[in-house]
Amino acid sequence: MMTDSCSLMSFPVLIEAVLLRKSYGARLAVDNISFKVKAGEIVGLLGPNGAGKTTSLSILATLIAPDAGDIRIAGIDLRAAPNSLRRKLGFVPQSIALYPSLSAYQNVETFARVHGLTRREADARSIEALQAVGLRDRANDPVWTLSGGMKRRLNLACGMVHRPLALLLDEPTVGVDPQSREGIFTTIRAVADSGVAVLYSTHYMEEVERMCDRALLLDQGKVVAEGTVAQLIELAGRHPRMEIVFKRRPLSGWYDGLPGVIELAPASDESKITLELTNLRQVSELLERAHNAGGQLLEFAMHSPNLSDAFITLTGHALRDITTEI
Amino acid sequence: MLRTAWIIFRNEFRLLAKDRAALFMLALAPLVIITVAGFSLGNIYGVRPGSEPYYIVVVDDDHGRFGRAFIEAIARDHSVSVVPVANLDEARTIVGGRSRAPLCIVIPAKASGEFADGRDVHLAVYIDPVKRLEAGSIELDLDRLCREVTSRAHELARKRMTEQASHLRDQLLVASDRMKAAVAQLEQLRHQFERARDTAQSEVNAQTRQTVDRMKAEITLRINRSVAQSKTIVEHDLAVRREALIAVSRYLEQLQISQYDFERWLAELKAAAGSHPSQIPPPPQWPAPPSEAQLAELSKPIEFPNQRVDLSSPIALPDTILLPRLPELQDPPSTPDFSAGISQTASTMPGIVGWQEHSITGGDAKVNAFDQYVPGFGITFLLIDMLWGVGVGLIDERDWGTLARLHISGASASGMMLGKLTSRFLIGLAQMILLFGAGWLLFGISLGHNSWALLFPAAAISFAAAAFSLVIACLANTRDAVLPIGAMAALAMSAIGGCWWPLDFEPYWMRYVALGMPTTWSMAAFNNLMIRGLDPSSTAGPAAVTFAIGIGFLAIGILGSSRIYRYVGQ
Repeated sequence: MMTDSCSLMSFPVLIEAVLLRKSYGARLAVDNISFKVKAGEIVGLLGPNGAGKTTSLSILATLIAPDAGDIRIAGIDLRAAPNSLRRKLGFVPQSIALYPSLSAYQNVETFARVHGLTRREADARSIEALQAVGLRDRANDPVWTLSGGMKRRLNLACGMVHRPLALLLDEPTVGVDPQSREGIFTTIRAVADSGVAVLYSTHYMEEVERMCDRALLLDQGKVVAEGTVAQLIELAGRHPRMEIVFKRRPLSGWYDGLPGVIELAPASDESKITLELTNLRQVSELLERAHNAGGQLLEFAMHSPNLSDAFITLTGHALRDITTEI
Repeated sequence: MLRTAWIIFRNEFRLLAKDRAALFMLALAPLVIITVAGFSLGNIYGVRPGSEPYYIVVVDDDHGRFGRAFIEAIARDHSVSVVPVANLDEARTIVGGRSRAPLCIVIPAKASGEFADGRDVHLAVYIDPVKRLEAGSIELDLDRLCREVTSRAHELARKRMTEQASHLRDQLLVASDRMKAAVAQLEQLRHQFERARDTAQSEVNAQTRQTVDRMKAEITLRINRSVAQSKTIVEHDLAVRREALIAVSRYLEQLQISQYDFERWLAELKAAAGSHPSQIPPPPQWPAPPSEAQLAELSKPIEFPNQRVDLSSPIALPDTILLPRLPELQDPPSTPDFSAGISQTASTMPGIVGWQEHSITGGDAKVNAFDQYVPGFGITFLLIDMLWGVGVGLIDERDWGTLARLHISGASASGMMLGKLTSRFLIGLAQMILLFGAGWLLFGISLGHNSWALLFPAAAISFAAAAFSLVIACLANTRDAVLPIGAMAALAMSAIGGCWWPLDFEPYWMRYVALGMPTTWSMAAFNNLMIRGLDPSSTAGPAAVTFAIGIGFLAIGILGSSRIYRYVGQ
């Protein structure tokens, strides 16, 4: 259940980044970004590869020192007390950071112990975490025998076994089957509902739309927009889109005269066309015109405006443009 | 930090327990290599471990006792097998064509006779130059065998001589006893003779005394009779002469009276001459007449004492008439101690000049090749396993992301380092203990007089190897780089440090280089304990140097660990 953003107003800020800046040589990876995540809130970091998501998370996770900026986790300043800050922090890296030869339980238990839990606590929490990610029955299996999705879930369990106040998730569902993805979503939601501030990095806008209370749209190291999913879509001012796949394209100018209908950036596939409509009532008209213009239609689909559309609007390029990830 | 170290420490053991390849490298791989090396290169140490024997081809032209004995002696060595052939051509074929047949021995004809006669026997040994090393090893044994055979023959001869001497001594002892009996008998006879002589002496003395007494009485009688007759005659003659003397005496008295008359006359004359008396010449001097006493003596009768010869008083004759003494009987010569002389004769037979190896340090002079290879290859695999455990382990953890995750979890770099190095140090130590145990059980290696002392160099090299691996992990940035760089360094250190062959095989400059390697010092410590049989104190220096080099590695590793731990706050 998604938390009502209004109800979060009174929750304390557990993750706070102020004017973070990080460059690698001449290239600016993170450019003065600032944000806050409150307890029980899931905030998405959305952006294409190379937008600075992983760098930002790595700075927050104390893996990389920022060139400038401040970080506070649960009120603890990174510069003042890095070790205390780490105790409050949970991190689920993009890569699967597990000991392949150890069992699922041993992995979770090891990180629980390193986090300072007693043996008894670590044992109980490890079982609990495995239960939460649906791996209780595979607790004693070596990691290398688990599927990719299971490893992802175990990766998540290791990051939250010590019940952190702030949980940083770096693309936790990469390469995961739908079933595991659902499991991960459920788990993250439950964690957030327990009062944990979750910062969720992804380039899947669907995950942000589904999981996050708020989202930060990152592009080239900058926060280009911030808000709830609805606010971002609204901010982009986009309309419904209609994708049509033809077996034989209709004659050119077939939709001319329909008010507000424009063709979006042409796809590489010439049989496919994307049109932006002003309202859904124009759909039947467009289909009729295409048929009359000699077009032979194979299929069509309707899309409501989403974060991807908003991202394109705000940045001028698609969310999944391939760039080098930092 | 200690808590982190403990968790990492425990985790390392968990990882190791799940890593079959690492376990194989820890335990089985070293044993396999040690076994192969030990059985293959044992010849370097003059020992031939293994089940397949060397074949020694033998041509026995002697066909006698010596030849048979020599072949039997060779065959007693289980590491060789004797292949008897009829002639040298046949032997040449076998030595040239068969593996593990490096040489042929030809026992010359008449060797038995010559040997028995005390002459030298020269065996001819034909070797395949290609199998020089094996042949050399067997020649060493052959040399030992020749010495043993010669020594045994000498021993037999000495034993035989001793037996003969013993027999002779017995005979001489019997003769000596008989001689002693004869001497005793002679002594008895002498005593008897002396007693008889004494008896005879007494009888002779008695008879002599009787005879003397009888003769003395007879002589006395005769002398007395003769003296009496002589006295009568002398008395008569003296009476005559006395009467004549009395007449002389009277004449002299008259003469003396005349002298007085003359003097008176002369006085009267002088008186008459008045004033010229001085012109009267003095009268001639009258001789003074004998005194009256003297003259009275002439008239005294001569009295002959009634002297009688009396021989009644014993004449001092010798108490005994000594019979001529017997020639002095010399004491019989003492019976010589034949036993000593004979024993000395037997033992002073010229011996053989031989030699026997002894360890100058009190250990066993015979070296088990595995005494070199178990610690040597143990160290090599220790280094490689440390590369795997520490070097690759760190890089893996970095690549897996677990290092970052541990860091985020609050684990300090020093704690992680301490835990990892400590665990790997103990694993390395356990590996060495395991290898030494297996070496003792499987290959019978020496653990020295104090096996516990092996822990010192084992611990020192485990520490140094762990630190060395940290250095390699810092130098190599990727997993793929760790093993080539590390293996090259580890193998070079092993080779130069004398892990694979004795350090003395190496040229001077290489031995000089070896002084800077922990392998050299740890091997020196192991050799001191295992091969030289020295006491534990001999490991103190080498182990300390090994440890010190390890400290150096550790310092470099810590300084370079920033390549691995690039995290905030590290």
